[in-house]
Amino acid sequence: MASHAVTLNDAQYEEQRDHRLLGFLFFLISDCIIFSSFIFTYLYLRSAAPVWPPPGVTPADLYMAGVNSIVLFGSGATMHFAMESFKHDKHLRFYWWMMATILLGSMFLGGQAIEYTNLIHENTLWTTSIYGSSFFSLTGLHGFHVFIGVCFLVVVLNQTLSGTYTKTRYFGLTAASLYWHFVDVIWVALFSILYVWR
Amino acid sequence: MDAGSIERIIALVGAIVVGTAALWSLKLEWPKTGLDDNVAKIMLGLLALGCCIVILVATRVLHGIA
Repeated sequence: MASHAVTLNDAQYEEQRDHRLLGFLFFLISDCIIFSSFIFTYLYLRSAAPVWPPPGVTPADLYMAGVNSIVLFGSGATMHFAMESFKHDKHLRFYWWMMATILLGSMFLGGQAIEYTNLIHENTLWTTSIYGSSFFSLTGLHGFHVFIGVCFLVVVLNQTLSGTYTKTRYFGLTAASLYWHFVDVIWVALFSILYVWR
Repeated sequence: MDAGSIERIIALVGAIVVGTAALWSLKLEWPKTGLDDNVAKIMLGLLALGCCIVILVATRVLHGIA
């Protein structure tokens, strides 16, 4: 069977782009529900405990988490600048902003690995307390999303360099940008609930 | 200077820089009306909120669960 390349005109592309965008937003909303269920479980466990964190448990370092948060928020800003550079046809700037985003995302994962190591040395483990299990579940789920996000960014950067996206057709980049912002915004909630809220 | 103080200073300076960038981007994004532009506005606003929380933590207004 012969294969046919499907070429869409601009109107068809716009319609298909809107459908894709709506579908992607539904995906982000469903992901938000998964995070909400984890967060409400944490809040329930926390409200049921007489003291939080439980006695004998060393909580995660607030200031280190603050630095890590700024690394992730900074990557959200660089991602936005990358998208704006692409829309304005500034491909070299786009490349550097995307590289900065990937680097900052990787630094966040490194920071989280250091934080986990410190907690494990303090004997705060997945299995030793309800604080440990809920903390590692929530931050682990988020860290997994960041890891997927970094892979997503590497793929779209590669696609852009190979000419997949043009100035008028770049849905993959939009999706990567929205996903990365989503991961950032979820961290705002997690940082507030896990580290800041007394 | 201990490690905690250095982390606080880095977090404070970073939060001011990133928060300013987020608010500036939000201002530039404001006139745009597409669905993805509106989502980007919400995300940038929440990003700025996150930077405000980090500033409050770094200045010890918020102390954390420790």
